[in-house]
This record gives sequence, structure tokens and C-alpha cells, in this order.
Amino acid sequence: MAATNRGTFFSGAGLVWKWQRLVWWVFAVCLIFGFFSTQEMTERAASVLNHSMAAQRLVNGFDVGAIAELLQLPDSPLAIQGHDIVHFSLLFVVFMLFATGGILAAYVLDEKPTTTAFFEAAGHHFWRFFRLLIYLAIVLLPIAGLAAFTSAMYSHINEQSISPYPADHFVEAAAVVILLLLIIVRLWFDMAQVIAVADDEKKMHRVLRRAFTLLCRNFFSLLWLYLRVSIIAWVLFGIGLHVWMFHVKPQSNVAAFLLSQLMILIWIGTRLWQRASEAIWYRNYQANQVPEPAWSPSPAPMYMPVAAEPRP
Amino acid sequence: MRLTKVFVLAASLAMFCGPIFSQATAPNQQATAAAASANTAKTPLSTRIVAYQIEAKLDPTKHTIAASETLTYHNLTGHPQQTFPFHLYLNAFQPQSTFMTEVRVSGTRGNGPDTDWDPKHFGSITVDKLEVEGAGDLTNKMEFIHPDDNNAEDRTVFQITLPKPIAPGASVQFHIVFHDVLPKVVERTGYAHDFDMVGQWFPKVGVWWKNAWNCHQFHANTEFFADFGTFDVKITVPQNEIVGAGGDLVSSANNSDGTKTLAYHSEDVHDFSWTASPSFTVVEDSWTGSQYSQDPVKIHLLMSPGHKASAPRYMKALKGSLQLFDQWYGPYPYDRITVVDPPHGGSDAGGMEYPTLITAGTSAHMPQGLLVPEFVTEHEFGHQYWYGMVATNEFEDAWLDEGINSYSEVKVMEALYGHNTSFLNFPFAQLSETEEQRSAYLSLPDMDPISRFAWKFISRDSYGGITYGKTATVLITLEKIIGEDTLRQALHTYFMRYRFTHPTGEDFLKTIEEVSGKDLRWYFNQAIYGTQILDYSLADAHSDPLKWWDTPAHGSKANAKDEMYRTYVTVARKGDFIFPVDVDIKFDDGSTAVEHWDGQDRWVRYQYDRKAKIQSAQIDAHNQITLDRDPFNNSFMKEADPRAVHKLRNIWVFASEWLSQLLAWLT
Repeated sequence: MAATNRGTFFSGAGLVWKWQRLVWWVFAVCLIFGFFSTQEMTERAASVLNHSMAAQRLVNGFDVGAIAELLQLPDSPLAIQGHDIVHFSLLFVVFMLFATGGILAAYVLDEKPTTTAFFEAAGHHFWRFFRLLIYLAIVLLPIAGLAAFTSAMYSHINEQSISPYPADHFVEAAAVVILLLLIIVRLWFDMAQVIAVADDEKKMHRVLRRAFTLLCRNFFSLLWLYLRVSIIAWVLFGIGLHVWMFHVKPQSNVAAFLLSQLMILIWIGTRLWQRASEAIWYRNYQANQVPEPAWSPSPAPMYMPVAAEPRP
Repeated sequence: MRLTKVFVLAASLAMFCGPIFSQATAPNQQATAAAASANTAKTPLSTRIVAYQIEAKLDPTKHTIAASETLTYHNLTGHPQQTFPFHLYLNAFQPQSTFMTEVRVSGTRGNGPDTDWDPKHFGSITVDKLEVEGAGDLTNKMEFIHPDDNNAEDRTVFQITLPKPIAPGASVQFHIVFHDVLPKVVERTGYAHDFDMVGQWFPKVGVWWKNAWNCHQFHANTEFFADFGTFDVKITVPQNEIVGAGGDLVSSANNSDGTKTLAYHSEDVHDFSWTASPSFTVVEDSWTGSQYSQDPVKIHLLMSPGHKASAPRYMKALKGSLQLFDQWYGPYPYDRITVVDPPHGGSDAGGMEYPTLITAGTSAHMPQGLLVPEFVTEHEFGHQYWYGMVATNEFEDAWLDEGINSYSEVKVMEALYGHNTSFLNFPFAQLSETEEQRSAYLSLPDMDPISRFAWKFISRDSYGGITYGKTATVLITLEKIIGEDTLRQALHTYFMRYRFTHPTGEDFLKTIEEVSGKDLRWYFNQAIYGTQILDYSLADAHSDPLKWWDTPAHGSKANAKDEMYRTYVTVARKGDFIFPVDVDIKFDDGSTAVEHWDGQDRWVRYQYDRKAKIQSAQIDAHNQITLDRDPFNNSFMKEADPRAVHKLRNIWVFASEWLSQLLAWLT
């Protein structure tokens, strides 16, 4: 199984590379939304900063004081920023809900995701995935309850102990458990989406049941498949942040922009890598599930020309 | 008092802690009777109006204190006194109190009772018996009064009227039996786990000030005011408790019931507080280096579990503060200073000052780059000068202690930890104390004047921002007018002149005027007594061809190099605060001009005819007017530089995309 899994892991990366236009599309939409979400802030900040010598404080470093000054201006250009970012992020969520069907179709069928095929598959699965999202919200409720319980227990332990460490350690342990649960739930729903696309299944509760069974039977194999890519994503993200903070010159906006976008691109790529790996895994799983026929007639002997003896 | 809100992850200093930590056991504490007796032999530093003798016994399981107090009051008011008001601060922590009424309107410090009452914050001080020497039991004559509002339910001040007045120069002795119920830590006092912070815990007589008794109720935003004197306090606690107190330990004796009694003596102070916990780790050190005395100042750090890594940080900040206050403002005359580190869950007891005892604040994972332990320690130590010795009325003139102390904090922290790195010092982000104080001021800059009584501010935010942040910012801006050295000299003069007294705001302002030799009323009237906003802007700066009708665009063949331009620079005063400003103008041929504007009018326009066009114009080029609300409109560059906007946009686009990715994980 390990060998198969390793194959799936790399095949997933190959599939993402093969149909990389999907990564670029998602990245482009994300970037466009990002730009739109900052448009008003940019215009307002430009009117305040472009001709101001005080703006040099921002040019030559990440000046927390200057940011605080900007935030506290009576008509702060940054004040509206939070709302716009949230709005466009939610819009991106809707986009991804739509696009996931098209992406998975390409990976499951391993066919070139032409525009027509992509949008056809995306539209075909949109409402199915929307229903899955509702199921996901229901499944996440107990985890939210667990998080609330953790918070309450944290306060309780804090009340009881003079040392801060027992409560801290409890929260760290609980955070690991909650994170693991979230990963498992995501993996479950990822597999459900793959099954829905691969089998063109309309009933989402049925898909969820099958995905759950599948996950239970192949738990460690699938978890490790998912986790490996996640670790790679976080490591690369951390390296990117480190380089941005410590190695990119404060004055170099172009380098900062390219690096930050590379980080987002890699993040999207690794998420699609997980999707592709899961799709390949399911394809392989289905292939392995084809039952061996009980009996088949022996093929008729074929006439095979006998190669002449080589001459000495 | 300084609020500590920022407690985040990381960083350990454990490697530094080993050699200096010693687990103290209370019975082994060395009595310093010799030091105490040496002290008493000294000439009094203050006019000792009160002498408190208190015997208190702590029940650490119930967090209650049973105590008796003998107060000897010397009537130096110059008037016969028959009625005496007393503070009972702990009664503020009851739902019907004026304190809680105000908390419901605008909140309070830290994580105390927010707008809802929580019974765990109940606290009380009950006078069981009050006798007056020569007049007998007057318990029934006690009367709760409400000098600040009409809240008949508030029981934070009572007064007692004696059968006959005490003549000027005579003394009166009060014998009071009382008991305290400590609240779960709130507003600087109370308990958390096995930690008890015992502050404002005994009946304290008011102050005869400005020819009247000054004894305000306890409010959500107010602190304290009391007379100087001596304190002899005996504290009985279980033998496993480690005690810290604002006095010299005179004796320590174990009792047969498993308790011990510690006797403390303190003089030329106006309050006494103490703390007890079996979980403290004691770190001891001393500081020498005063230019006034060879005697060391003993330093006791009482560290709570999990906080050991912050001990070297406390120590460095404390020693640095001792050194700079001694050097800049005057001597620290006491032979000790105790720093109490509250445990987790008890942070509301942190960031508080009492004479010779301060409470600091940190967390188990305090990052090195976040200088919270440092600035809280520095700030609370600074209060030994601006509150402890220069004992201003914290109810009515909170700016005189908190504000001046915030200014001192800026100067000391920036001297110790670097100008730009005195508040935040991460490789990727720095923040100076000046900016932090300015930020506090800008949060609500124009609702209340600095000089307003502390409980009359519109909100908690306004009180904090104005009293701390604006006062500090006003004094930093004052440096531009009289110079930093002169202001430092003025603070030194103010300290030396008014230590161990109760000066007023005018005393402070007149001292500055006297030392600087300048009439600064125009500034103080706006900055201290007014709410005007200071905001100057470069409204316009542009150059026009002098013969605009004869330019190449209009068919002229004149050499562009010989073209004469008329340059206009318009400076506007957007706020109502009038302040003289300098305007630096640069032209594209390298020439410059400097204008000085008195700022009286709403705007002024300067005009230049030169063979050069404007390149830039800037108000307050050296950024000395820190009171100016908007620094971005103080300058104009002809050539736009969009790099700052691009940088902001980069960050926000990335944040937007990142949030999108996190949310998209749900799909």
C-alpha cells in the first residue's frame, strides 16, 4: 500500500502540473479579487500618501507607528479595508464552490480541462457541492462545541492552577486533537466530492456514507496522503514568510509582490495537489475493486512466427 | 498604573535565571531591624501627619483579613478639626457602589467586572468598632457620605464627628477594628489562586488640602490620595506564605498555631500595601550608583510560577530606571523596592504602584521583542517619584502622576532600549514609546481636557488616552519650545521642590515657566486646559510660470532655463490649536527657504519668484510637534511617490488572498 500511496502522491503532483491551467485560473481569480478588495483603500491611501514626505516611513520599512497613525486618521484609508477583504473572500468561496466540480472532473477523468468541459462540470456539480457544504456545517458543529468546551476547560484549569502551564498544555493538546478532527472531516468531504464526480452520484447523503466507509477502511493511507501535502504547503509558506520578512528589502515592492504571489500560488497548487492525489487514489481504488471473472476461456493459441536461428 | 493588554506567545530566558534565583522560605527572611532603626534616626523627609499602627491576620483560604488599626493624626491644618473623613476603598467592589455604576457606563481597567456584576469580585471592608482616644466608642456615629455624587448606596467614604474639635497642632488617636473580604483580583487588589494582593485595605483618613477635606469616593477611573507619615504594620500569615510589603522587615516570629507574624516599618510614605503567596520565588539584588548616596537600594522580585524568564527583564528595567531617575530627576531616598509579579489569572493586580512596592506584569510566553515587562516595571517605578514622593491628588489631577510619569517612561525607555525600539523590537516591526503614547492620545483626542477630574471623563478610553498619552505627547511637544534639557531641568526642580508634598497642576506649570524663563500660558491653556486639536496641513504647493502667457506652449521661444516661476505655498491650520510652525521649502535647483508662521490665522500663503519650481514643502521637518494629529498632511512633494501605497497594497492583497484561501478550505 505504501508503494501505491507514494505513487499516488507523486502522480497527484504530476496531474496538477499536467493540468496546471487550473492552478493558474484559480490563482488569477484569487488575485483579481484581492486587487478589487483593496481598490478603494488604494485610492484613498494614494490621496493621503503619494505626495506626503511622511509616507517615506512606510517605504523604508514596516513602520508600525506609521500604520497606527494611518489607522487613527479621522478618515482613515485603512478603516474600510476589513469589510472589503471579507466581502471578496466570501465571493471567492462561492467561486471555489463552483470551480471545484470542474477541477475534480479534470483530475478524475484525466482529460484536458477545456473551458467548455470545465464550466459544464462545474455547473453540473455546483448544487451538489452546495448541499455538501451544508452537511459540512452540520458536521463541524460538534467540533465547534469541542472548541467551546476546550475554552471553558482552559478557564477552569487556569482557575485551579497557580501555574499557567497545565492550562497551556491542555490547550495545546486540545488544539492538536481539534486540528486532526478538522483534517479528517475535510478529508471525508474531499473524498465525497471525488466520489460524487467520479460516479456522478446525485444523492449527497449516499456519497457521504460511501466516503465515510472508504475513509474508515483506508484511514491511515488517506490521512498520510493528505497530511504530507499539507506539511509541504505549510513549510513552503513559512519559508516564504521568512524570506519576505528578513531577506526582501523593504523598498523592493516588486520582489515583495512576486514573493507573496508565489506563496499564494504554491498554496493553491498544494491544495489542488491534495485534490488530484485523492482523485488518483480513488481511480486506483476503483480499478482494484473490479472483480476477477470466475472463469474465462483460454485464448486460442496464436501462431507465432519463429525467428530464424541466427547464423553463426 | 499602566494597563497591560498584550500577552502573546514565545521566548524563554530560562538560561539567564538559574544563578540569581533562590527559593525563599519565609521563616528564614532576614529581619532588617538595624536598617529600620537607622532609618528612624534620620531626619524626617516629609511632614508626618499620620502614624498608622496596624495588626492584620490573613486567612488565605477565605481571603479575608481581620485587623486593628491605631491612627494618630496630627492636626497641622491650622484649623480646629472635629469631623474626619475616611476611605473604605474595598467597599467599591459591590454592585450598588458608585464604582460599579460607572463601570457599567464605560468599563474599567483590565479584566475586572465589565458591565455585569460578578459576585466573585465582591469585596468589602467593615469597621467593627471605632474608638477615639478620650471620646470612647463612636462606632454608632459613623456616617457614610457621598461627596462626589448622590449615590446613597456608596460606602467608600465615611466620616466621624468627634464630641469636641482637635485644636491646631494637637493630635488625635483613632482605634479601629475592621475586617476585609478581598475580591477576586480586580482594580489592583484581591486574590488569584493562592496569591493575595492586599492594597487599599485599611481605613485611611482623607487629606486636608486647599483648606478643605479631600476624600473622594472610589471611582472607576480614579486612584488615591493620602498624607505622609509612618506605618508600623504587623502581618500574621501561615508560615508557608512568602510575604512582600512596602516597608522594612523589622522582625519575624513564628507562632505556635502554625502562623508567623512579620513586623514592617515604613516612613515618609502615604500608603502601605503587601502581598502573600506560598508560590513566590524570591529574586534579590541591589542597586548602587546614586549620585546622592552610597547606600544600596535592596531589590526584591517576587516571581510567580511560570514567569521566571521575565525576572532578568524586570531587573534590568528596574536598575536602569533607578539610575536614570536618580541622574535626571533626583534621589530615590528609600533603601528598598519590591516588585511583585502577579500570577496568571491575577494580571489585574499588575501594573500598580504603592510606596516602595510595585506590581509588574508578564506572561509565561512573553516574546523578547515585546517590552511589556520592561515598560510596566519602568512605569510603576516612575510612580515612586510621580505619586510616591511628589504626592499629587490622583482623583483630581491624575495627569500629574500618570501623565508626567508616561513622559518619563518615554524618556527612560528610549534611553534604555533605543529610540525606535522602546516598545516593540522585532526584526520586522518596531515601535517607539513616543509613538505608543501618541497612539493612545489619538484614540480620542478632543473630548476631555487633561486637567479634568479623573472620574469626569467621558469614557475609560478618553481617560486613558488623555491622562497618559496626551500628557506625555504635550510634554514631548513642549521640548520643541523650551528644549529637552530645559524640560528635564524643570522636572528636576519640580521634583526637588515638591517631593513629600501635594502640589497642584499650577505648581507644575509655573515651575516649567520659571525654569525655562518663558511665558507658556498660551500653550498650557490649549494643551492642558483645552480640548483643541492641533493639525496643520500643507494645503497647496505649486509653481506657475511667471509669464504664463508667454510659455513655449503659447508660442514663446524663450529658453526654458531662464523661465521665471512664481511658487505658492499655502499652509492651513485645520485644528483650533494655535502653535507656531516652521515651513521648509525646497526648489528643484537645490535652493531652499524657511518660513516661520505664528499660526494665528487660519491659513497663510507664501510666494516666491525664482528660476526654479517647487520640489517639496514641509511643516515641522524635524517631527517635533508630536501633538499634530495628522503627520501625513504636513508635507508635499511635487513628484508623487506611490511606493508606500504599493507596499500597503501588497500586504492587503496578500491578506485578502490568504483569507480567501482559508475560507475556501470549507469548499
